[in-house]
Amino acid sequence: MHTEAIAISLDLINRHYQEPNRNRYESKYFWEELYRLIAASGFSAIEIPYEPVWQFGGRSGVPMNRYCVNTKYENAANYRALLKECGIERVTGITFDPNLFMRNDNLGFYFGATGHFAQEALAHAADMGANYFAISPSPFYGRILQYHPDLEGQKEAFTQRTIELLGGLAAKAAELGVTLVLRHEYWGLFGGEQVVSLLDALPETVKLDLDTANLFVAGISAADFLAAHDGRIGCVHLTDTDFVDTADVWKTPNPEFPSHRATQVFRDPGTGSVDLLEIAGLLDRLNYQGPITCSARQTRDPFRALLRTRSLLNQFQK
Amino acid sequence: MTNIGPNIRYANMSHWKSIPYKKIDNFREFYYEDNTNSAYYSDWDNILKYQSALGFDGIEIAPWDMADILPLFGSPENFTAFAKERGVSVIGMFHGAHASHAADHFDEAVRSGREAVDTIVRFGGTYMNTCPTQNYYGTGPLSREEVQQCAKVMNEIGRYATDHGVKIGLHNEFFCAINLSNHRELIETTDPRFVHYCIDTAQISIMGEDLLKFYDDYHERISTFHLKDTASSNQPDSLRFSQDPEITDDGMRWFWEPGMGNLDLKGLYRLLKQHEFKGWMSIEYDGSPDLLASMAMTRYYLDKELRPIYD
Repeated sequence: MHTEAIAISLDLINRHYQEPNRNRYESKYFWEELYRLIAASGFSAIEIPYEPVWQFGGRSGVPMNRYCVNTKYENAANYRALLKECGIERVTGITFDPNLFMRNDNLGFYFGATGHFAQEALAHAADMGANYFAISPSPFYGRILQYHPDLEGQKEAFTQRTIELLGGLAAKAAELGVTLVLRHEYWGLFGGEQVVSLLDALPETVKLDLDTANLFVAGISAADFLAAHDGRIGCVHLTDTDFVDTADVWKTPNPEFPSHRATQVFRDPGTGSVDLLEIAGLLDRLNYQGPITCSARQTRDPFRALLRTRSLLNQFQK
Repeated sequence: MTNIGPNIRYANMSHWKSIPYKKIDNFREFYYEDNTNSAYYSDWDNILKYQSALGFDGIEIAPWDMADILPLFGSPENFTAFAKERGVSVIGMFHGAHASHAADHFDEAVRSGREAVDTIVRFGGTYMNTCPTQNYYGTGPLSREEVQQCAKVMNEIGRYATDHGVKIGLHNEFFCAINLSNHRELIETTDPRFVHYCIDTAQISIMGEDLLKFYDDYHERISTFHLKDTASSNQPDSLRFSQDPEITDDGMRWFWEPGMGNLDLKGLYRLLKQHEFKGWMSIEYDGSPDLLASMAMTRYYLDKELRPIYD
């Protein structure tokens, strides 16, 4: 495996949850040093989560949407030049998660805001020269249920509106030369194998994300998933976990933090129970040539996570 | 003479980022997962206990906390009961009256303000510190009519709040469209029966007000305080009116714990005594890298330096 092409996601920085020293993540200087540290740990490609929230409240130091990039660097080209100067050659992908917009009982608001900001994020992905735009096709199942207790009754209509929203994005993505990818998350409305039905309803240009920790928690073999969907995988996320969902945590409003038993659902790559070496071998055997991104989401220490991830990648067969 | 308790009670304005758990029952196990201090900042149970242990009996929550608190607790009432069990009352919530200067936004600004009041009532709070409109950048300078429009919205929200047992307090940030040139004009255009003022000691000083003179001039309007220090008073227009100045690119902090900047907070306390201020004082730690340490530093400074002047 050509590990030098593997990207690291900026989701290793905890932007949203409390921890000491977290405030520095809102200043530009933090990120500009981080890019150099990422490069020093052997990565020359990054993935960026697109987060509209930083547009509001004057926190434009977090480089995770178009407004912030334009505020601090005037345009995407200047930002990409800065990344290059720091040793980051490319932005491989942009991710988008619509949970921010599931905050009331108004589905018109949810679909309107998600559609608007996802279109903006997709255009930003093109400006960044990204290969893929990976979108979570729904908020957390339990988050929807919080505001729509009759979710099961509305599921068909919700699915139809999701297909319309994603269909619009697919057309724009094709026009922009970016691959639209559906994230495959065990906690969504389209968890498990349901994401495949969703994919089937969309144009063939739309692909699937293979996320190793999410498959592990869903109890789906990554090898079987890969074999079954060979040719439809648009990107691979190498993620790790120890988590086994014995209490239907996926149905709760904030499943990344199981309320009955505190735990770090996503572990730093190489420190959990997912056999990432085997999966890397499998990707090689299937001659997978698409983008691969490591994610240390929820890490307790991003700098240790960078080196832990590099240590894992060093074990992959060259 | 009967001792009926202190004149000033202390609260914290909540600047915790999302707290993902209500209460962690498996604390030791959680700690051992990666042997870091994350466990210490992950549940409201401990956050509220830290507050209570350090003598901060109140918490002022923020609207941006709602998206996390409500799924976690199910309702404002549940959060309030949980906090009360740990010795902490919800005193109120901050509110941003977005675009209240715009006449065509009147209905929306008033509706949003009333909804915030309703939320505060459900939390059992009695204060709504309110930023009168958005940032100067992209909005200012405001015309006289726009300032009056802001006042009209504040009066309307204030009347509703008063009817529901809530005091709204104008709260100015140094980078708001309501700024040094029209700050006092806004206060004086609002109805003192319904609209009060929350002095953010650092924000108004950075904006260019003299803290002691301002309090002396408006002490009858003051409902509460956001107490914090700064070493950056009297910033120029070019900075205050710039795009997104609150979080600096290089990590320079506008705000410090009381006693760590250079405001005359002892002078303020002498004036509080002179004007016999009674009420809540919220400490704010925005910008701090370690809210728990800031809380402890502040408690020491309050007890040793400020409370001996006026308690």
